[in-house]
Amino acid sequence: MTDYAIETHGLSVYYGRHRGILDVDLRVEQGEVFGFLGPNGAGKTTTQRVLMDIIRPTAGEARMLGRDCQKDGVAARDRVGYLPGELSLYDSMKVRRFFKMYASLQKSNTDPGHWQALSERLELDTSRKIGQLSHGNKQKVGVVAAFMNKPDLLILDEPTTGLDPLVQQTVMELVREANRAGATVFFSSHILPEVQAVCDRVGIIRDGQLVATERVEDLTRQHFKRVRFTFATIPPADAFTQDGVTVLARDGQGVILEIRQHLDKVMETVVQYGITDIETIPVSLEEIFLAYYGRGNGGRNA
Amino acid sequence: MRRLLLQEFRFRRGAILGWGIGLCLFPVLYVGLYPSFADQMSNFYEILDLDFYRAMGISMASFEGYLASTVTNLMPLILCIYAVINGTGTLAGEEDSGRLELIVALPIPRWQIVAVKAVALGVALFLILTIAATGASLTLVAIGSQVDTMVTPVDLFFSLLAAWPLAMAFGMISLFLGAFSPSRRTAAMLATVVVIASYLGSNLASMISSLEAVQKFFLFYFYEATAEALENGQQIGNTLVLLAVAMVAFGVAGFFFRIRDITVGAWPWQRGRIPEPGQE
Repeated sequence: MTDYAIETHGLSVYYGRHRGILDVDLRVEQGEVFGFLGPNGAGKTTTQRVLMDIIRPTAGEARMLGRDCQKDGVAARDRVGYLPGELSLYDSMKVRRFFKMYASLQKSNTDPGHWQALSERLELDTSRKIGQLSHGNKQKVGVVAAFMNKPDLLILDEPTTGLDPLVQQTVMELVREANRAGATVFFSSHILPEVQAVCDRVGIIRDGQLVATERVEDLTRQHFKRVRFTFATIPPADAFTQDGVTVLARDGQGVILEIRQHLDKVMETVVQYGITDIETIPVSLEEIFLAYYGRGNGGRNA
Repeated sequence: MRRLLLQEFRFRRGAILGWGIGLCLFPVLYVGLYPSFADQMSNFYEILDLDFYRAMGISMASFEGYLASTVTNLMPLILCIYAVINGTGTLAGEEDSGRLELIVALPIPRWQIVAVKAVALGVALFLILTIAATGASLTLVAIGSQVDTMVTPVDLFFSLLAAWPLAMAFGMISLFLGAFSPSRRTAAMLATVVVIASYLGSNLASMISSLEAVQKFFLFYFYEATAEALENGQQIGNTLVLLAVAMVAFGVAGFFFRIRDITVGAWPWQRGRIPEPGQE
């Protein structure tokens, strides 16, 4: 169990009788960037809070960097940087003082002054009181706090929330740099293009259950395909009426198909009309995500 | 740990000064003005010694009684209100505001977080009392030539400092309620009820013989705010009882904080459980 940066077995959390997460078996390998996706209330924050021992699991176990998050929580959190989703800070403190305090409380902080470099990078004025900062700047404080001890594992809950696009990009650069330096990153986000840009793998959580854990490229490649065919003869309207195939658009001689299954049958059909061109259209993670959540029909439809 | 403790002191700096100076004004006004209405008071001694006043811990039939009623009786009560505000605010309040999440996520054992907050609260209570006791004693020095009393400024100073175990006991009970109950609001409400019930209960029980048996359930029973106590000091046994209550409450607070699901806001018995099949 020590080869993974994060490992959970049958992890369940109930709030009274309300389910938070159920039977989550998750493995995040050392040195990977893992995106944790799901809509609000799906269980992302609950999972992260269990890892940080902020809440205790009703059943199952969780380990970080080889240590049990509950039984050996202090040691487990020692080399972890954490950014909560609902960040709340001490408004009366100056940013600089907060960082000094926070750095001093991280036992194995190898570079107590690293927060200064991070603050400069994010253009954060550390001489101001936290209460005087805008929402975005408070989020920067949280980001610096998470990265300041150069952790082996970063757990980030919606790290770019409230940040402008330029700062979002800087935060993603920080994620990449930390990862290049050997850190594992486990983060949740609603901004799917950024997840797709930086993550090696993603886990999709729905109604408290982990429904998929795949490499980003596998997910986008295998889940479904979008192909634009250009035909010599225009196929009739009902030519592709079969399970697992949807006609997304028709444009003159061209037809765009979304193919979920029976690719062989589709190919048999299309050759009948003389193919003059084929183009595969990339499918974004966002589209995969929406497919998992079956926008409009309340469930996974893929 | 040291840095966290220093920070806790910094957070309380303003409160210590504010409450200390505020409590100072109490004896400055009540005791400082005594010589100007001492003659009028003598006309009302019989009225002021009524059971009604005694039920509120007030017995003003002498200057010592007046001193005990206004200063050593009410000042600790007011300090206990600070203990409730701070005791419930320090864990439950920070949890309600979301700030505790970031601290709990650090590699610090939870018992250390509780210990730091308890120590900070204890020191704050002591400093507030010291400021207030100094103010009260200086006021007595100022009017010393105008009143005939055996109570010295030093007696008054230590009488007030002797209220620290009482305030500490309520502070730790508040800390426990903050770690036990779902929100600061609930904790503060319960702690306030405990303080008021204890204050009134102790005074009433001292006058009604049928309530004598339950007198010791009220913590104010263990802090004597009387003219005799001003001169002779508190009974060591009573002080030890208050300290023991504070220690036990601290221990229980530590226990419940250790098992608490931070950010959830639930009673301990509402903790999640896997429902039986068909219950969900």
